[in-house]
Amino acid sequence: MIRNFCRATLALTLGLALSQISHADPDLPPWSEKAIQEDVDIEALAASGQDPIAVLQPLGERLFSAKFTTLDGAGRPDATGAIVPTKVRRQSHLTFQRLAGLDANACASCHNEPVAGGSGAFTANVFVSEGFTSADFDTIDPQFSNERNTNAIQGAGLIELLAREMTSELRKQRKNVLAKARANGRPEQIALETKGVSFGSLTAYPDGTLEVSELDGIDDDLTLRPFSQKGVFPSLRQFTVNAMNAHHGIQSTERFGSKWTGTDDFDADGHTTEMTPGQISALVAWQATLPAPTRKENLPDIWQQAAQKGEELFGEIDCSSCHIPALPLESLVFYDPGPFDTAGTLRQSDVETPLALDLSTLDWVKSLPRDDQGRVLVPLFGDLKRHKIADAANDTFGNELLAQRFVARDVFITSELWGIGSTAPYGHRGDLTTLNEVILAHGGDATESRKAYSKLAEPDRQSIIAFLRSLEIAK
Amino acid sequence: MNKLSFTISGAFLAVGMAANSAQADETARSGSLAPVPAFVEEALSAGIDHTYDGAWEFFVGGGTAIFDCNGDRRPDLFVAGGINQAQLFQNVSPTGGALKFTAVDTGLGAKQSGKVLGAYPLDFNNDDILDLVVLRLGENLLLEGQGACKFEVSNRSLGFDGGREWTTAFSAIFEPDLDYPTLAFGNYVDRSKPGAPWGTCHDNFLFRPKAGENNHVTYPDATRLSPGYCTLSILFTDWNRSGEPALRVSNDRHYYRGGEEQLWAVPPGRPPRPYRKADGWQHLKIWGMGIASIDLDVDGFPEYALTSMGDTKLQKLDGESDETVPVYQDIAFDLGVTAHRPYSGEDLKPSTGWHSEFQDVNNDGLWDLFIAKGNVEAMPDFADIDPDNLLLGQWNGKFAEVGDKAGIGTDRRGRGAGLADFNADGLLDLVVVNRAAPVSLFRNLGSGTSEQSKPLGNWLAVDIRQPGKANSRAVGAKISVKTGNRTVVKDIQVGAGHASGQMGFVHFGLGVAERANVRIKWPDGDWSHGYRVFANGHVIIERGVEKARLWYPE
Repeated sequence: MIRNFCRATLALTLGLALSQISHADPDLPPWSEKAIQEDVDIEALAASGQDPIAVLQPLGERLFSAKFTTLDGAGRPDATGAIVPTKVRRQSHLTFQRLAGLDANACASCHNEPVAGGSGAFTANVFVSEGFTSADFDTIDPQFSNERNTNAIQGAGLIELLAREMTSELRKQRKNVLAKARANGRPEQIALETKGVSFGSLTAYPDGTLEVSELDGIDDDLTLRPFSQKGVFPSLRQFTVNAMNAHHGIQSTERFGSKWTGTDDFDADGHTTEMTPGQISALVAWQATLPAPTRKENLPDIWQQAAQKGEELFGEIDCSSCHIPALPLESLVFYDPGPFDTAGTLRQSDVETPLALDLSTLDWVKSLPRDDQGRVLVPLFGDLKRHKIADAANDTFGNELLAQRFVARDVFITSELWGIGSTAPYGHRGDLTTLNEVILAHGGDATESRKAYSKLAEPDRQSIIAFLRSLEIAK
Repeated sequence: MNKLSFTISGAFLAVGMAANSAQADETARSGSLAPVPAFVEEALSAGIDHTYDGAWEFFVGGGTAIFDCNGDRRPDLFVAGGINQAQLFQNVSPTGGALKFTAVDTGLGAKQSGKVLGAYPLDFNNDDILDLVVLRLGENLLLEGQGACKFEVSNRSLGFDGGREWTTAFSAIFEPDLDYPTLAFGNYVDRSKPGAPWGTCHDNFLFRPKAGENNHVTYPDATRLSPGYCTLSILFTDWNRSGEPALRVSNDRHYYRGGEEQLWAVPPGRPPRPYRKADGWQHLKIWGMGIASIDLDVDGFPEYALTSMGDTKLQKLDGESDETVPVYQDIAFDLGVTAHRPYSGEDLKPSTGWHSEFQDVNNDGLWDLFIAKGNVEAMPDFADIDPDNLLLGQWNGKFAEVGDKAGIGTDRRGRGAGLADFNADGLLDLVVVNRAAPVSLFRNLGSGTSEQSKPLGNWLAVDIRQPGKANSRAVGAKISVKTGNRTVVKDIQVGAGHASGQMGFVHFGLGVAERANVRIKWPDGDWSHGYRVFANGHVIIERGVEKARLWYPE
């Protein structure tokens, strides 16, 4: 409360009164069971010149940990968890159900290891389905849903910024090859690459058409979607809107409001305007500013030495070709809404001015290394690219039956390994208890590295484990 | 909750209430919960200074053909002129910017460009370059596209007699086992008959292709569709999901005697025959001016909007009747699309409707209905000021009028029209050919302004081709677009509207869907596999090709 007062005082001294930006419901008694009690006018906030992080982050934190109740509109008796507003075929008599949902009433009830925003145990797995034709599944039969472990969100702001820059760069390359084909009057091909990661090739024709069948690891629209185990969500904002509906039955107006559904109570639970753009922005801001995972400090010498050796071997056996130690980031300004969201998620065109969250003001960002061009080196141990990760010889990761958002069942985005020392169990289903098991589960594009790991002597394999276990989410 | 929170909460509530109140007022005024797009008129600044005009014979007609005449995939415009010369305008609009056209020479002589009432594009010679069928007062013309917006009259080479009639309607279909299209022409009053114009409607004509030596096709014989009842719009349509399109004919009761709306069966290789009362066809007399067809409920049986003087009809196959007989119920009143009198101004006399077209102008995934309106000339019993309608589809299945709010309501007398994305920004723009007044060209700004347009819902533009086959543009095909559990379908058709046709990218609004599954039912009835495509782009689907190609405008 004291912290809130300080922030408000700061805002007042900066100009626009906080009361014009951040609001709380005055009619609620202090014992109210309503979890959503505050809102933020993001247009006013963007116009105020105030630091949006200071205003949004605390509200986002409260919302992330809040246990939503029916008083907030939790529950979606007449809607599925689908990303596109979809009515149920038959209503469930259960408000909560761990399969088709509702499967939680707080974000932090799953994202909580080792801290809020972190990963989840196997007990916190979710069953994800597009939710269109079989929305009311009540079985774990994999023909209806994919079982997934909870991802950690730490560092997600930097991940989204990397993805935005990579999307921009790839689209620029697409534009260039189209212009070249038009200018030369003949087909032209380009190998797509950004931040050292290749994404296949495009062939452009003089009439402005584009052949996309040779793309690799990215969607045809060249939007890099870095989030989820699958890599199918472009932004924290879109994911938040999706998740609020799927997991909690809290429907945001930017997708489920009357503009796109003809009703302000799409899920027919008697609650309108369950979550505003301002509240979504608060959740986004909190997630985007979560400190990135770090390395364990004060390790005993034996672990320190093993980790150092393991990191070298990690590179030598080519794990680092996909789990790239660091990607360079040009800009640390996180705009919300972002540049690549589409209708149904608030877009930059939907607001006068997007919020500009300057992540460079955060202490944990200041401590990140920079390259000789001044770019922040984001130590994600990932490439933000999707790969085929199972094959007939090793199908541990091919354990799903359903494609998701056009991505085949055995294709997943490279897991960022930062923080992996804090996020056991492992694998997209969270069913591998040790790092050794998860490494040996790699097939498909990672087969050679897995084989190389297998051939290492036990002490060398242990050193790789030591290295990976040194990557942690700080408590 | 601390003191500060209480202090600021009053403002929260006040702001919230004000916002709710403003939203309620807005909804009450527009009647639309669906977002209303803003249109701005840009004809003159776009370089289109053209008027359709003339005496009695040009009280009707006034059509436009929207198609790509130079192979750049952008829609160009051919506009009828009546007593004035028809003109061709090449689209040079910058992507996402203000509309811009350049008048280009068609290669036609002055006589051939005169007395034009309307036009429809199609590829009648299977070279994948769009051709043009030009409807005239006098000889109709089959213009073979040469590329680069040049045309050659091919009446002679095709053995086609363009006739001398007053032609006001056209439709075409590729019949099974025929490599070239069957052409249907709708004619209006036979002015040469005694007693004209009353009760002297001309017969309509059907031309079937005839293969000669070396596969040289000709159209030597016209089959008369008699009686004709002063037709103003025709459409080959698969009304009963049989795979065999019939010809729907909308007729103007003003001149016929004993006439009615018509439906002709056109069985392959056999003479056409009209559906009669014994076939279930019900007598309906309207001032039929323009047909618009869409399958609103995706049951495979299209609905038909029929413009008229007074109320617009919206016909749906009667669910209580045997679906093999053409018994229709009028659902226009239930859905709010009667559009029977002007929605603004003081003039409460009945409206006069002409071109009609279902499209999705706000990209919310719901079909909207545009109707061009305008007094015939000076009919005193009908509204003099009669603005065009823009009826936005709503999630409750009904439609809401937003013509004034969208900025398309004018005091001009609309006739032909078309909606197409001229600047390739994903928002359908609108061209309206007015009688005795300049062509109107509206740019769709979405939720933005003329300085900066802004998107509404997500969208998808689909072009389908059959390379190396007859019927390159797949006339008769059906495009099915699925988002979530929702499917919308649109047919590739040549015909309908009022003397106005278009061919090119077919536009779909996707609402909040980020991707879609597209399937094609090709003209021979074969379904394609599903094409997985992302929103907000142009895709080209060629028959037999595994993956859709994308198109990016410059």
